[in-house]
Amino acid sequence: MDDYQTCPKCKTTKYRNPAMVLMVNACGHALCESCVELLFAKGSGACPECKCPLRRNNFRVQLFEDPAVDKEVDIRKRILKEFNKRQEDFPTLREYNDYLEEVETIIFNLVFDIDPTNTNKMIDNYKKENKDITQKNRNRQSQEEMELEELLEAEKAQQSEKANLYVNAELEEKKQKHKAREKLIDELMFSDADAKSIVASHVQATAALAKEQPKAAAQPSSGVVKSSKFSSGIQIGLRGQHTNSFLPIPKQEDLPLYRYTAPVFDYDGPPPPPIEKLGKLNYFANIRAANIAERAGGYTEAMSCCRALQEALGGLFYSPQLTHKTAVLATNSSTQDTDDMETT
Amino acid sequence: MLELKRALDAKGHCLLEMPSGTGKTTTLLSLIVAYMKAHPLDLTKLVYCSRTVPEIEKVMEELRKLMNYYEKEMGMEQNILGLALSSRKNLCINPSVSKEREGKVVDGRCYSLTASFVRARHAADDAVPICEFYEGFDAHGKEFPLPPGVYNLDDLKEYGQMKRWCPYFLARHTITHANIVVYSYHYLLDPKIAEVVSKEISKTSVVVFDEAHNIDNVCIDSMSVKITKRLLDKCSNSITILETTISNMKENDSKRLEKEYKRLVEGLRDATIARETDMALVNPVLPSEILEEAVPGTIRTAEHFVAFLKRVVEYIKTRLRVQHVVQESPAGFLRDIHTKVCIDRKPLRFSAERLASLIRTLEISDLTDFSPLVTVSHFATLVSTYTKGFTIIIEPFEDRAPTVSNPILYFSCLDSSIAIKPVFNRFQTVVITSGTLSPLDMYPKILDFHPVIMTSFTMTLARPCILPMIVSKGNDQVAMSSRYETREDTAVIRNYGNLLVEVAAAVPDGIVCFFTSYLYLETIVSSWYDQGIIDQLQRHKLLFIETQDAAETSLALINYIKACDNGRGAVLLSVARGKVSEGIDFDHHLGRAVLMFGIPYVYTQSRILRARLEYLRDQFQIKENDFLTFDAMRHAAQCLGRCMRGKTDYGIMILADKRFSRADKRSKLPKWIQEHLKDTNCNLSTEECVQICKRWLRQMAQPFSREDQLGISLLTLEQLQSEEMQKKIQQRAQGV
Repeated sequence: MDDYQTCPKCKTTKYRNPAMVLMVNACGHALCESCVELLFAKGSGACPECKCPLRRNNFRVQLFEDPAVDKEVDIRKRILKEFNKRQEDFPTLREYNDYLEEVETIIFNLVFDIDPTNTNKMIDNYKKENKDITQKNRNRQSQEEMELEELLEAEKAQQSEKANLYVNAELEEKKQKHKAREKLIDELMFSDADAKSIVASHVQATAALAKEQPKAAAQPSSGVVKSSKFSSGIQIGLRGQHTNSFLPIPKQEDLPLYRYTAPVFDYDGPPPPPIEKLGKLNYFANIRAANIAERAGGYTEAMSCCRALQEALGGLFYSPQLTHKTAVLATNSSTQDTDDMETT
Repeated sequence: MLELKRALDAKGHCLLEMPSGTGKTTTLLSLIVAYMKAHPLDLTKLVYCSRTVPEIEKVMEELRKLMNYYEKEMGMEQNILGLALSSRKNLCINPSVSKEREGKVVDGRCYSLTASFVRARHAADDAVPICEFYEGFDAHGKEFPLPPGVYNLDDLKEYGQMKRWCPYFLARHTITHANIVVYSYHYLLDPKIAEVVSKEISKTSVVVFDEAHNIDNVCIDSMSVKITKRLLDKCSNSITILETTISNMKENDSKRLEKEYKRLVEGLRDATIARETDMALVNPVLPSEILEEAVPGTIRTAEHFVAFLKRVVEYIKTRLRVQHVVQESPAGFLRDIHTKVCIDRKPLRFSAERLASLIRTLEISDLTDFSPLVTVSHFATLVSTYTKGFTIIIEPFEDRAPTVSNPILYFSCLDSSIAIKPVFNRFQTVVITSGTLSPLDMYPKILDFHPVIMTSFTMTLARPCILPMIVSKGNDQVAMSSRYETREDTAVIRNYGNLLVEVAAAVPDGIVCFFTSYLYLETIVSSWYDQGIIDQLQRHKLLFIETQDAAETSLALINYIKACDNGRGAVLLSVARGKVSEGIDFDHHLGRAVLMFGIPYVYTQSRILRARLEYLRDQFQIKENDFLTFDAMRHAAQCLGRCMRGKTDYGIMILADKRFSRADKRSKLPKWIQEHLKDTNCNLSTEECVQICKRWLRQMAQPFSREDQLGISLLTLEQLQSEEMQKKIQQRAQGV
């Protein structure tokens, strides 16, 4: 692909000498490595093409196919070291864009040697005027760069974490399958029950497991993303970027403290039995008892039973004459014994 | 129909799987047209997207039938305008341009005859050629709308010839007020084209994607970029052309450049105005916020921009000089380009727009030379706009030929929802339909949308006219499978051969076979030749083979059809995912049996696929295996569906791989196939399979008259209105 690269001095090609490396200096003319050693044995000399005085130390390996681009990038890097104002330094976008264009023109002039005296003067002027800003900007990253860095960082973290997670999950799955199979074989070997029923129950168990799996898989996604922010919205690890974050926390206005008042319910029928007494009143005889797994989560059969009863008796709440009367009553007597409604 | 009506009422999106050949197109068209007539305010337009030109023509034919029916029943002219739109290549009637055969060349030639500056030049100097048809359209055509009716591509051409107007521009102009527009997916999904063609379609439209089973791949393709070494060399050439043109222009006519410069200083305002009031379709390539900002100063003048492009191209060249595969994220690429050649993210974002503006200003009429450069600028814009859902892969050589250096940079979109998101957001109802969408829940996941309706329909049939079978072993009880470990096994290959020979002896007329890849097809055929299976096969039927060459394949197809038509009978060996498996129908005697040798998995070692799988796993919690199986099974179903094209048709479907009988594969087949796949037919040997075939064929060969269908799969008006039937329909609708 690069076979046609030739050294302009000794005419060696990449094809004939695969080890050939082309070098570029400030003038943007290429020379092969051996020619550089030969011509610049003293440490300095003139470019064989444009007779520019050059130093040997400044020779760089040519990165791009077109040496002119190498030269341009070299100049650009040098210039951008000085001209490193950011958009934040300008009041409007328009001015920033004008500034960018100016920089571009300077680079362009330097690359093509247009009006060198004026350009150099411009650069010197700029250097003098903006010394402090340049110095300051050198030490801080631009907003965009920071954003990129952050993205990369996040990507890396996510990748490693996800990889681990999935490898583990897969291993786990394999183990479980293996276990299930062994269990089935064991059962078939040692138990006296009907083989068909054992197999059927085994199939059921695996199906139930498979159902649970997707839920488990869905969970990690939410947990994995590592937060780079405190809960207050201040970013972790970026010191001094947002100066306003050191302002005192605005004081919140004092409001009168909240006080709980129990709501008043009035109804036209018998009160639903309270949750504690459900067992005694034999309500549980008609419903399915909670299993161990459900109980572990804090669920008891009393809850659903109580709710169902309340729902059943809820229709009796409405009674137009009573509401008016009790509204007056309620102002006098603050609480009633209907609080158990709130316990659920 | 009920489901579709519900979706239209709810103004939501829906996903419908309907078996092929059951009048999918007619159902969709008739309901939506009726809805349009009943609620003219809620629903103004139907955009029907199909895949290929023949499919578009078929839709137009159905629409014409529907309109004729309306006219007959209602007794008056219908005020509905339907038209098809295709590329310039299919619509051009300019005698000199339409001779060109390549689409890109036609576009370029057309541009060079119709661009505004060419016409301005023509006004000054008569020698500059222009297109008379476009002139005719521009002078008269814009004021007179097309009279209502149904126009397919040929009608448009004829109309254009008659009036001497350009049919392409006429069609594009008419889109804005036509009621029904039929065109290819790309006009809506490809952001570069959608910007030009589809931006004026109002929100109250229904969009239908027909044959949408691989819509996710279309979405991904439209956002991905592939850059080769040769493309970059061409870029360098066009950059030199740009440089000389700019210096020429500077000497002769510097005013124009100045004007452009001033406009850029002001910002891309003109584009913003068009996008106001949410009229235009949002272009994902060019996000809205860019338009509100001015072009950054670094690339404002023409010379600077050309130097900028040069740097970008040279940078990509250096990246292509790698010796090993590199995969990185857009963020990593941006950082690297910043450190290596000092290019910020912002000017990169603007590069596509800036290049378009420059080419316009320079009045370059031949755009074909610049397409590589445009590609690179699109790449630059995309890479700097999206940091998520994309990846960059640089491969120094192809996997199959590791010694030949052929570096390629893939900028691959991993998330199919990016391209289709504007469509879902913009239109009130999007209908995605195909014969093979199973498993249905995968599509909402990978396209990232929430359908209100998601159903799979089965066929109501008077007789069991498909016979799906899973053949898992040969006569010698050796398991048949295209698994990687056993695919070279001669026993497996011989068993496949024997299966084909015996089926060929039992089944009349045409048989179509699908293999998993071209490579596999070739190895199998060569070893069949050694084993003498080919000779045995040719005693029964003629043999045709699909190759990678499109011309060769179409010749084979023509002769295959000939052989089937004259009763000799033929076998076509083709490849799943190939040209034959998509879009070519083998109805009636052309395909009495389809054999699927192996499960058509994709080439899993491809790095782009790996990256996409990883992304799907991380973002949507889709397991790699699930997606691969889903993809393989939808292609298998697509191949099987080739032989069923209607209710009177019948065909055998043989899945020859042990793995098909597993629950995870079987459950992913479409419902209308699963329904007929009995448990007893799931683990057959070759012998048993042939026995079942023979019995079934004898049953199918009985005369099948219209009366047999009446009352079951075909209803007269009285039957439809009878109470019993109504009840049945109600039940069905609720059951679904």
